[in-house]
Formats: sequence, structure tokens, C-alpha cells
Amino acid sequence: MMALGETGGAAMSQLRPSIDRYATGRVNANPEAHGITGSAEYDDEVRSRAVYSVEAGLSFFHTHAEGLGLILFFTSTLVASVVAGRRVRAALYVVLTAGSLFPLGYLVYGASVLELGREAGIELAERWVLMPLGSAALAGLTALAVCLAARARAASRPSPP
Amino acid sequence: MTEKSAWRLPPVWVLLVAVVLIVCAEVGGASMSRFKIELTRWARGTMLTHPAVHGLVGVRDVDERILDEALVKFDAGLRLFHMHAEGMGLVIIATTTVAATLVRTAPARPLIISLLTVGGSCYPLGYLLWAGLIPYVGLERGKAIAEWLVWIPFGGATIVALWWLAGVVALGLVRR
Repeated sequence: MMALGETGGAAMSQLRPSIDRYATGRVNANPEAHGITGSAEYDDEVRSRAVYSVEAGLSFFHTHAEGLGLILFFTSTLVASVVAGRRVRAALYVVLTAGSLFPLGYLVYGASVLELGREAGIELAERWVLMPLGSAALAGLTALAVCLAARARAASRPSPP
Repeated sequence: MTEKSAWRLPPVWVLLVAVVLIVCAEVGGASMSRFKIELTRWARGTMLTHPAVHGLVGVRDVDERILDEALVKFDAGLRLFHMHAEGMGLVIIATTTVAATLVRTAPARPLIISLLTVGGSCYPLGYLLWAGLIPYVGLERGKAIAEWLVWIPFGGATIVALWWLAGVVALGLVRR
């Protein structure tokens, strides 16, 4: 995920004109989805909003991929160190790893904005990718916090004489 | 925890570089906030002494717009240094720990660790260089210099090392 994040950041910087050209081309190829009317001034505004959304998607992908890669690294290390039950540990790995795929939602966001239009594209990415994977990350982190709290509580109990 | 399942530490110099980078990021962020006015005044003053570089024409309305844009980018360069230095410090610690633990072959391990450390620690300095160059050589030329001197070589080193590491880890999983 971190390698993807780094590569995405570099691509964003080096290929910006090509990405903008491609995005503008896709908007023109999907005029109905974007509500292109034929009025030059309005259409330019629609195109620039769509291109801006794609750039925002790529930028969020870059920052979130770097961040969630690190979060997965540190939280899974905590799980390995602190959580005793094998099944609980395995479940936490699965949920946290699914959560670390959350940044891919921003790639879907960028692509679906171009193909389906801004509102429908954002809704699709949010409903089917960002929300489920983000919820997985939240669930994994909350469960890990509960495990840590349980362990801290157990450690603070006085040992029997 | 068994020896096999424990993380192995990367060399101490790697950790030192990562920690120093995070310290620089913190100091940079604090300085940006504490000396914002002084930094802006310095950048503006330097730009006014290089009017040709920035396309200043001596008409207040036109010049103010150009100066404002350059100052926004100057500020962005400092902020991006702060953010990237914080992030890359952590990335160096995490990825070199993975490399130290999972890359078994002797020539590959130190090479990946060195690429990750040198690439990751020098890359954010490009934003500092860019910000520092803007008042002297302008936005685009400053960006081109930072790109060719810092971002492309050091960012490239980090990307190559990360994909190499990802490949080695994936290969290890397949062979298991």
C-alpha cells in the first residue's frame, strides 16, 4: 500500500497534464453523465469540477495510502504483541488489512466520477468502497482498543496471595 | 515472542536518521508558525529584489497578484516539507524494520535499507529547497531544480526500494 501511495504521488506530480487531458477526454466522452449542455461557459465549469475531483481523489489516495500502510504496520504489530487468542488475532488481522485497503476507494472515486458523473461517482465510491473499508478499519481499531483495555485491566488486578 | 516471529531492528544509524528527520519536521512546523511574518517578509523582500525573475512590471495591481501567488507557493513548500518529513520519518522506521526482518539475502537487505533511508530522508528536503528557491529563481524554475536535484532521484530511490521490498515479501509468502 505504501509503494502504491508513493507511486501514486509521483504519478500525480509527473503526469498531471496527461491525467488532466485524460479526465477532460472522459468527461467529453460521457456528456450525459456530466450534464454537458453545449453552453461553453457552463460546460467548462463542469469539466473543471470533474477534473478537480479526479485530482482530489488521487491526492487523497496518495496521503491515505501512506498513512494507512503505516497504521496497518503498527496496529498489526500491536495485535501480534498484545492479543492472546489465536482466533481473535486472526480476525483482527483480516479486519485491519481490509481497512488498510480503504485508500483504493479514492482511486475508484476518481475513476467513477469520470464515468458516472460527479455526484453519482462520489456516491458509488462512498457507498461501495470507502464506507465498508473505512468501517472495517474503525471496527479493527475499536476491537484492538478493547483488547488493550482488557489487558490493562487484567494487569492492574492485584495478583492473588 | 520467539526470535523468528519478532521484528528485527534496522541499523541504529537508520533509526537516528528517521528520528532526526521527524525532529526537523517538528522544528520546521513550529518555525513556520512562530516566524510566519518574518518568513513572509523575507520572501517578499527577496522577490522584490529579483523583479525580472518574477515578471514584476512595477504596476501595483499586477505585481501584488504575482507576489501573492508566489507567497502561497512558498508557504505550501514549507508546509509540504513539514508533512513529508513527519511522514517519511515514520515510513523509514516501518519499512526498514520490515526489510531488516524479512529480507534474508545479504546484498539485498543493506541495499534496500540504504535506499529507503537515503531516499526517504532526502526527499522532503526538496520541498525546503523549492520554498527557498522561489524568491530567487521563481516558481517554475525553482520547482524544476528541486525536481531534478531532489524529488526525482530520492523519490525514485524510495519507490524502487518499496517495490523491491514488496516483491521480496510477496515472494516469501508464495514460497511459504
